[in-house]
Amino acid sequence: MPTISLTQSLVISLIQCVLVVVFIFVVVPLTVFAERKVLGYLQQRLGSTRIAGHLGGLTGLLNRGMWKLGKVPVLSYWRGLPGLVGDVMKMLLKEDILPTKADKFVFWIAPALSFVASVVVFATICFVPGTFFTFPTWVPFLGGLPVSGGIADVNVGLLWILGMATVGVYGIVLAGWASNSKYPLLGGLRSAAQMVSYEVPLTLSLLAPVLISGSLKFSEMSQAMAVGVPLWAIIPQVIGFLIYLTCGFAETNRVPFDMPEAENELVAGFHTEYSGMKFGFFYLAEYVNMTVVSAMAAGFFLGGSWLLPFGLQGVVNPYLASLPSWLVTLLCEPHAAFFAIKIVFLLFVFIWVRGTIPRYRYDQIMAVAWKYLIPLTLVNLVLAAAVRLAM
Amino acid sequence: MEQLEQLFSTVLTRHVFLIFGVLSVIGAGAMIFSRNAVHSVIGFLLAMLSIAGAYLCLRAEFLAMAQILVYAGGIVVLFLFVVMLVEMTKYKERKIFQTQTPVALVVVLISAVTFLGVFLKTIFGKSAEVALTLNPELTGDGLNAATHNVQAVSRGLFADYLLPFEILSVILLVALVGAVVLAKSERG
Repeated sequence: MPTISLTQSLVISLIQCVLVVVFIFVVVPLTVFAERKVLGYLQQRLGSTRIAGHLGGLTGLLNRGMWKLGKVPVLSYWRGLPGLVGDVMKMLLKEDILPTKADKFVFWIAPALSFVASVVVFATICFVPGTFFTFPTWVPFLGGLPVSGGIADVNVGLLWILGMATVGVYGIVLAGWASNSKYPLLGGLRSAAQMVSYEVPLTLSLLAPVLISGSLKFSEMSQAMAVGVPLWAIIPQVIGFLIYLTCGFAETNRVPFDMPEAENELVAGFHTEYSGMKFGFFYLAEYVNMTVVSAMAAGFFLGGSWLLPFGLQGVVNPYLASLPSWLVTLLCEPHAAFFAIKIVFLLFVFIWVRGTIPRYRYDQIMAVAWKYLIPLTLVNLVLAAAVRLAM
Repeated sequence: MEQLEQLFSTVLTRHVFLIFGVLSVIGAGAMIFSRNAVHSVIGFLLAMLSIAGAYLCLRAEFLAMAQILVYAGGIVVLFLFVVMLVEMTKYKERKIFQTQTPVALVVVLISAVTFLGVFLKTIFGKSAEVALTLNPELTGDGLNAATHNVQAVSRGLFADYLLPFEILSVILLVALVGAVVLAKSERG
């Protein structure tokens, strides 16, 4: 491996940052669109299908033909997609309203905090342990250099993720306070209590992977949990996964726990007074947070960039030797596509749950966190310790 | 190319640390001088985050993350919570704060003198010549403090300084129980 100078490593990091940002801004709008469509199908309707104008030419012909056959045209499934551009334009161009008695500085900084805290988490998320790809030799300045699967796969990666998740609380709380209005304040206070409470079981549920893998580094944890654990480690992993996902819903303020913005109680919660792109940042931050929670659940519990979840890959791997070598490579090697597919599946679960489970009452939410989830995570931690002892 | 390399290396080792230092001083100043309690909390948050950044520049990664998790994530959120719930304007601020002035002055003076002593000793004294390492005999067997920061810290906490660490956690537990008892008795 050629030695990397400081400048080259900085350039490579910059490229990785760009790749991650592209990934975020591909996944997030598609999630927004998927949410509309999936919720539509869950509620037996089509979801968003309309844009201004209509599709002409060949596609229009196909659509008309399918309508005549009495079927919903395939192409109309995707016709809501350009509406996303309209959404973005709307957010950018809408009047930016500042309530008269709002605190200007805090009102301005709250969405920024929320968004930044959700995006920087991706710095330590490792899409592939080890090398992602190597630059071909003809590339100037960077030829032959490897690009690792994460921007900064530091040895305190998990702590960074958890720390930034806690900083994200400020965005919501400060937005609620700065609006100088009743409903946002109530939403902000509720979210502060809820998110701080759910951070405890969330962190405790992630301690089980830490215990089993003996590391805080995202790539090492992901690898250890995917291929380095015995079969009986599946029990703490499955329990941990379910607890983590529950807490993840609460941390991202998604539907069974969407107290901060419960619309039939609090108008729109902490972002009632926000409009334009300031609201857009909250909206983006929510979806980026969903992606982060999905990425962590996929990395720690669902086998990361290996095919099988819950550490089954490591159990199955020895038996795969008889298969043809290209198939073994495909199934057993780290694969960014597997990771991405798992993230997308978990995002679908987010939407699925939103369409299925009604909102909890506020006291029920707190009771779930403190009375049920925390004891469960502690039991799970003991199980994980037993696995660690037996390994 | 060489110059660029040199530039980046100085910026990374020196200037970033300075930036974080200046930011933390600005945050602390904003915390003390701002009239609005919530602005103070934001200043506090800025100070805490930039101190974490400064730790990161000193390669104390675990300390930096613990700083973010404990202070920025836990303590400052609670501050914010209290400040938002208690409307400070309702109290006569002078009467609350100025009764403590003499005590505060004494405490600040004592701590300033102590810190100054420590600083003088570490900057000009003998200890500055030897790099500070946490139990060098333990870091010898494959534990590089730079790459295994967390492991090194945890060894220090759970192997060498176990008793003080446990005593500290018992003290914290006592404080926790005490707070609960106080809150309960106030409610009647």
